Amino acid sequence: MTKKQPTFEQALEKIEEIVAGIESGQIGLEESVARYGEGRELIEYCRKVLDEAEKKIQVLTNPDGDRLEPAGELEEPEDEQA
Amino acid sequence: MSARRIFFDPDKARGPQEEPEVGGQKKEVGTDITAEVTRDKAPEALSVSALLGRVKAALSAQLPRQLTVVGEISNFRRPSSGHLYFSLKDGEAQVPAVMFRSAAARLRFTPTDGLEVFATGRVDVYEAQGKLQLYVESLTPKGAGALELAYRQLVEKLQGEGLFDPAHKRPVPRFPQTLCVITSPTGAALRDIRRTLSRRWPTARVYLIPVAVQGEGAAGQIARALNLASANAEALGLDTVILARGGGSIEDLWSFNEEIVARAIYDCAVPVVCGVGHEIDTTIADLAADLRAPTPTGAAELAVPDKAEAARLLAQLEARSARTLRGQLQQARSALASAQRSEVFRNPLHRVRVLHQRLDELAARLRGRLIQRHGQASARIERLEGRLRWQLGGLSKRKGDALAERVARLSNVNPIHRIRLARADLDAQGRQMLTLLRAQLASGAGSVKRLDRTLEALSYRSILRRGFSVTRDGAGRVLRRADQLAPGDVLRTELAEGEVRSTVDSSTPRRPTDETPPPPPAPRKAPKPKKSRPEDGPTLFPLNGPDA
Repeated sequence: MTKKQPTFEQALEKIEEIVAGIESGQIGLEESVARYGEGRELIEYCRKVLDEAEKKIQVLTNPDGDRLEPAGELEEPEDEQA
Repeated sequence: MSARRIFFDPDKARGPQEEPEVGGQKKEVGTDITAEVTRDKAPEALSVSALLGRVKAALSAQLPRQLTVVGEISNFRRPSSGHLYFSLKDGEAQVPAVMFRSAAARLRFTPTDGLEVFATGRVDVYEAQGKLQLYVESLTPKGAGALELAYRQLVEKLQGEGLFDPAHKRPVPRFPQTLCVITSPTGAALRDIRRTLSRRWPTARVYLIPVAVQGEGAAGQIARALNLASANAEALGLDTVILARGGGSIEDLWSFNEEIVARAIYDCAVPVVCGVGHEIDTTIADLAADLRAPTPTGAAELAVPDKAEAARLLAQLEARSARTLRGQLQQARSALASAQRSEVFRNPLHRVRVLHQRLDELAARLRGRLIQRHGQASARIERLEGRLRWQLGGLSKRKGDALAERVARLSNVNPIHRIRLARADLDAQGRQMLTLLRAQLASGAGSVKRLDRTLEALSYRSILRRGFSVTRDGAGRVLRRADQLAPGDVLRTELAEGEVRSTVDSSTPRRPTDETPPPPPAPRKAPKPKKSRPEDGPTLFPLNGPDA
């Protein structure tokens, strides 16, 4: 958790690279097994990202100059169930 | 005199009391007045200003305050003052016209020479040049609507500048983490976008910059919002901007056809996905955007991937890698098995023996030949010996002994002896080769077994997912009995998702006192962590993260 997490996209690219590496047959069996383990971890991470709870929409305001800052959450619309 | 006639149109100078139709009896009235002026001669002469003053008064009395003239624009000029100067003409006549900056600012299209327009305003005299002039308040193109014309003109202009150039369009990130929506906080567009984002890609962080999307100043707000989003893109980590508005009339959507909005989109630091109006509407904002969608919902769909699709992709990658790896293991196993089955390993000495046999054969033949030649040589020596003895007769005994010794030395270089030595050497080499082959085979089998075990170890995680957990001591050994622990020991419990660290409580039931060391059965609490073996659990993989 202390390490900077990769973005979903970065993680997915890494997974694709690992799978391509394993499939190429250019690396040894031991190395393949090691990369497979790494790939599994990244896949678990990506799944966690996908399962993250939905975030509220933050409304941005422009207090001064060219600055934008979040000023609170947007309220849920009333007719969401309609 | 002639100048006076040009400026002083007697028709218009008669004053408001008579209200004549254009044409009519003007001729006689005109001559009347001219006659009067001529009669009065010099004392009654008017100053130029007075003259124009009377003309102006006559004009304003005779013409309505506001009228509309239809004509073709010619000689159009727009100096830096911002006022517009042009003439309106038809087949026979033309009238100079001016449109002041304040009125010109409300124009949505650009007047051009040859354009037929309705010009609404008033007619007056421009004293400085003594000419009649149309002061235009508003211009409307004849034929096409003003907005339609303005749209066409702006498209042409911005296209010429490359604002819609496909080469400038940037790819929209596939899996955005942070989005910024620019739209009305109360519109249906926001509701649609929010619904779509939460259905397809709820993991993204979403910001909203609320703006007016129609009416006075809306275009300015939208352009400003885009500039701000661009300026703060890095600070907020923005991946994509969504600019949207629900459907409406061309007037309602007009803000999205303004030049400042198009330029702000073009200059935005992050890709802009635009969804304005309904399917049929294509605004200039749509044309300038990096990606354009028919509706706000469509814009949200283009901006984010589908979560379910991403999950499927992950599952595919997982299956592909597992399948490949299993295949590779299988291949290694069968390669090893076939190596073990091969002639070399089954009967490693076979070739050596074949060679031996051949050697024996050759040796036998050689020996036979040598014996034969040795026999011949011996016979010859004997013959020569006899002849020597006979010739030298009583040669001294010492000389005779020396001769015997040389004969004996000769027989020492016997080749049979040398063949024996070579054979022993060959045997030793054969044995060495065999040992080497066996060692290689054993190590290959060992590594395949090890890899097999680690692959199987991975599968214990699926058991964790069912709710079981694995508890280890501080050294990472899997715990099976309570007496493996002392109070204060650290426990590490691995769950399907993450790990829990805890400490053994002092009131462990099976232990009388804290100080007593654990009873003999399994004093496994080693002072130092042992080198982990596969039996201790699946430790080859970083199952607990980088610190395992």
